[in-house]
This record gives sequence, structure tokens and C-alpha cells, in this order.
Amino acid sequence: MVTAYEFRHLSEEEKYERFMERIERGEKIEAHDWMPDDYRTNLIKLIAMHGISEIMGAFPEKEWVPKAPTLHRKLAIMAKVQDEVGHGQLLLRVAEDLMKPLGKDREDIMQDLFEKRLKFHNVFHMPAPTWADAAIIAWLVDGAAILTQTMLLKTSYGPYGRALKRICQEESFHAKHGESLVLALASGSDYQRKMLQEALNRWWEPLLMFFGPRSAKEVGHSKVDVNIKYKIRSKTNEELRQEFLTKYVPQIKRLGLTIPDETLRFDEDKQQWIYKDPDWEKFKQIINGNGPKTDSRLKLRRDSYEKTAWVREALAKYNKNRMLVG
Amino acid sequence: MEEKFYKEFEVFSRRRSDLPMEHRFSILAPNLEMAYILAKENFFRRESIHDLWVVERSNIRRMSEEEREGFKRIDNKHYRETKGYADLPKQWRKLEEMLSSEG
Amino acid sequence: MTDNKILRELIYQLADDNFIHSYRGSEWLGLVPHIEEDVAYSSITQDTMGHAYMFYKLLEEMGEGNSDELAHARKPKDFRNAILLEEKNGTGTYLDNPDYDWAFTVVRNLFYNVYKETQLESLKQSSYEPLSITARKIETEQYYHLMHWKTWFMQLMQSTEEARTRMENAIRRVWKDFGGVISQGRYADEFSARKYIEPEEVLGQRCLDKLGELCKSVDFNLEGKPGMEKGNGRNGEHTEDLKQALETLSEVYFSDAEASSW
Repeated sequence: MVTAYEFRHLSEEEKYERFMERIERGEKIEAHDWMPDDYRTNLIKLIAMHGISEIMGAFPEKEWVPKAPTLHRKLAIMAKVQDEVGHGQLLLRVAEDLMKPLGKDREDIMQDLFEKRLKFHNVFHMPAPTWADAAIIAWLVDGAAILTQTMLLKTSYGPYGRALKRICQEESFHAKHGESLVLALASGSDYQRKMLQEALNRWWEPLLMFFGPRSAKEVGHSKVDVNIKYKIRSKTNEELRQEFLTKYVPQIKRLGLTIPDETLRFDEDKQQWIYKDPDWEKFKQIINGNGPKTDSRLKLRRDSYEKTAWVREALAKYNKNRMLVG
Repeated sequence: MEEKFYKEFEVFSRRRSDLPMEHRFSILAPNLEMAYILAKENFFRRESIHDLWVVERSNIRRMSEEEREGFKRIDNKHYRETKGYADLPKQWRKLEEMLSSEG
Repeated sequence: MTDNKILRELIYQLADDNFIHSYRGSEWLGLVPHIEEDVAYSSITQDTMGHAYMFYKLLEEMGEGNSDELAHARKPKDFRNAILLEEKNGTGTYLDNPDYDWAFTVVRNLFYNVYKETQLESLKQSSYEPLSITARKIETEQYYHLMHWKTWFMQLMQSTEEARTRMENAIRRVWKDFGGVISQGRYADEFSARKYIEPEEVLGQRCLDKLGELCKSVDFNLEGKPGMEKGNGRNGEHTEDLKQALETLSEVYFSDAEASSW
């Protein structure tokens, strides 16, 4: 513990030591607190990616919002996709406050996205050609996201934790929504069941990829270790993937679906799931901006952002006390 | 006012009349009116809302990390808390004993 | 015509207006000028779909059939929404090369919602009680919708030259078919004779007065009567835009004849 007078005169090394003590004690770091540069840059990278993934996550489901087959489903999927955009809003605000000292704001985030400097989750680069894909996304992609986000709830960065608390509350509705969609299809006609199985086949590999590689070995680099040191996160990618398999493999089987991996089994001795590794080379390609739907979805985002630039320009200049025209 | 679309606003709300205002989160908006209508649906899609405030962040004087340390107190102010008066029952008894022995 | 048939005509107008209006809103998802607005607009779109649902439920209770069937399985000629509300947001589709016009959306949404407010006020006095109860419920959400679009309208009208020009063009475009919104169609006289709703001229004028005031406050004069250039949707006249909208809305609904539930 230091007093305010001591705090003022701390050297950079002493500040770092004090920061690490705070982390060790489980204290939460706030936006304007002193933090080491790599803590800030790792947070920005992680949270901006998380936030923009939520924003880009609206696109695979966007097609199915008006097309949802009943009025009730139309309402529910609209609410679900809206929440995703809302989560993106919360997370981007957290990232933007971290970027502010670097002179960056939302505009930079959007430009980084368009130029593929800012990456987003592999699953949102994938096509969702049928209604059953919307169901699998809501059930399993959101299910995977819930595991990751729950793990992050205890993060050392206060604002991120507060955003996640709100997000996790809403995700519990998404999980029910997804479960309801897959249940309806799984207990439906041959056509509906076939559509669901095909969607699962499409999404299985992207879902395993979603948690990221086991170690730096698979893709050449990884921030997981640093993030664990700073208590930004508490579990490894593989631990989360194992949790996902434990939670969902039995449920998928209960639905009468076949998991497209013949090697998948639970090894009692090792107490872990053995599965066919996804193609990590493909994963790298996808998150670097070369997925099947990357360009068309980025185009949608970029075109609409550019075509509505006049609106942002107009409101930047609007002042209720001063008529600019007329 | 600065000519900028992305301005930061802090959002506060009260869920029920008997609850205090609570900070919800922040949003980006070009001006106060727009911030207000956007705040409503960004944070109160599900929960009820009894009062809503939006404040432009530049109007807020915020505590610094140094001040957080500087505003701490020494733990010697029991005299201003109820726990500093834990001996009152004892004193009552003492008084009663005194009065009864006098009587 | 029977009373019941007349009443159903009116409720179809209400249900279909809200249904199609909500659809056009849902197409904007992910494409609006600002992320925070995407969330806010989506709430309005959901509310509006919820309103459509309530009106379809009234029809269901009157024996018209299942509400999902009413929304998804009728032919375009059976729809009673105003043509202005079915018009596309712009060129392209919501998935492919959308070139959507925010000014047109703001003006259309504001003008329609001013009419809707007027309409709900009148429906609260409807002689058909289920309708008056529904109108009262919907009115609770209408306040925010109107506030939202008014804020956008007032600010864009008083900002840059470019925005002003775009907004004025949008007003002129909306005006060309706004007559179809305030029209009550060929059974208008029967509606008011049975006190389901006030007469078309009375409601129409009340709405136009409100719009005139709003525009005047930002120095714009609404000139002449609103038109009905593309036809009267209340009488089943529609454009290609409605046909396409309904094909999208019912694509999954019709994809499997065997499916008993979704």
C-alpha cells in the first residue's frame, strides 16, 4: 500500500510492482489507473475484437430475422440479434476508453475493421445458408460464447467485467432461444431434421476453432499466457473447449443428431475429450480476413457506414441553439 | 460545443422510486437529446425505469488514482460511528446499580 | 356486407401496416448510421411487430384463421397496408448491395407514426371493445417511437445543407403517397357509421395539422394535399415491392409443407 504522496513519486518499475500487487490481491483496474503498456494493448486487442465480433455477428443471422417462420420467432430472433449489437456497443465503449490515451476512437475502430487490421471471431466469417444455421448459431455459438464470457467475468479489468456481467445476463435468454429453435427442428419433419443435421455438420469445425488453438504452436503466436498472468482471463483455450464438449456433446446426442467426428470420445484415464483437431491453417486464414463470407460482410458494413457518413457529419454540426440553414 | 459526432455520455438510472440512481454505462452520441433517446433503448430494453439521466462526460470531475489513495482515512474515527458507542448498555447498568444502591 | 366483414377490413389495415412497416425496419439491421441507433431502432421494429401480432390475434379470435397464417400465407392482393409502407428502403436488397436512404426512413417513420398516434387515439373510443383495449395497450409504446423519430427529424432538418436537401427530398417523396396512409379505403364510411373509428377526413386532417406544425417549426411548408400516386393499398392495390417483401417474410414458412411447427 502506498500513500498519495508516495504514489506521486513512484518510478515506472515501482508502479509496475504496485500494479502487479493489485492484480495479485484480486483488485480491479479502472480505465484511468496506471497500467503497463502491454496490459493496455492486450486489453484493447482482446476487447476490440470481442466487441467488433458481436457487431459482425449480426450479419450471419441478419438474413434470418425477417425470414423467421412465425411471428413469435421473428420477434425472438430480432431481440436476440439486437442484444448482440448491444453487447458490441458495451464492449466497444470499454475498448474505446482504453484507446483514448492513444488518440483513437470509434472511427479508428471502424476503419481498422474495414482494412482487416481488426480481426473478428472465426465463426462470423462463415455462411449461414439455412434457418437451421440460425438455430445452431443461437444454440451452440452462443453456448460457446457464454462459456468464454463467464470465464472472463472475473477479469482484472473492472469496466470489462461490468460489461460482461450485463452481457451474461442477456446471454441466458439467447441460450434458451437457441435451445427452443433446435428442439423444434429436431422434433419436426424429415426435412427439418435433415436441415438441422447439415447445419451442425457445417458448424462443428468452426465451433471447435472458436476457442482458439491449444497453444502458440498451432498458429505461431498467442496472447493467452500474458492474459493469464495479468488475470485478464483465467482459463486456457483448451480448458474452455473441453468444458464445451462436456456440456454439449450429450445434449447434441439427445437431439438425435450425429457429431461429424468419428474419433470423438471421452478418455476416462486422461479425463478429457479426444477429438479431431480442426484445421488450424484454415483458422489462421479465416481470422486474417480470408473466410468464405469475410469480404461480403465487410462490404455490407463498410458500404452502409460510408453511405450514412452524411448523417454523422450533419449531427456533429447540429446545435439546437443555432439554426445552420433555413 | 465541439463539432464531433462521437461524444461520450454517461448514463444513470433509477429502477424504482425507493432506489438510488445507479451508473449504467456510457454511450457515444452527437448531443444530449440524441444521447437521451439512445440511452433509453440501449440500456432499458428489459428492465423498468423510473428515472433516467444522461451527462456529457466532459462535465464530470472524476477521481484520479492518486486521489483514490489520498482520500483514504486512518481507522481512528469510531467516535463518528455507532460502533464507537458499544459500551452504552454497560453504562446504563452502571447507572442503574448506582441509583439502586443509593435508594 | 356484414358488420363482421367490415370490421375485419379495418383490422387488416392496422395489422398489415404494422407488419410491413416492421419488416422495412428489420432490413436496416446492421446498416444504420450509428451502432447505438441500431439497438434503439431495433426495439421500435420489435414493438411494431408486436403490434402487428396483437392485431392479427384479434383477427384470429374473429375466426379469420391462425395469426401466423394470416401474416405469412395471404396473397399480396389481400394485404391492406398503405403502399408507402411497403416501399423499399432503397435500391438493392437487405443482404446484397443495399443503398438505403436514411432521410427517407426518418421521414417515412415519423409521418407514419404521427398518423398512427392519431389513429390510436381514435381507436381507443372504438365501439368494438377488443380494438379499443388493444389501441390503449399499443399507445404506451407509441410515445417513445414518436419521440425517437421526431428527434432525428428535427436535428437533421436543422443541420447541414446536405442533410436539409436530402430531408426535403424525402418529405416530397413521402408526400406523394402519404394519402394512401390516411386513406381508410373503400369501406371508410361504413367504419365511421359503425363507430369503429372516426371518419377518414377528420383523422386525416388531424394528422396533417400535426405534421404541418412539426414541419413549420423547422421552417418547412407542407404544400397541398398528400397524394396517392402508386394506388390505394387499402383496396388491395400494391406494388412489386410488397410481393418481394412477402416472399422474403414467408420463405421459411413455405419451405416445408410437412412441418407442423417451427
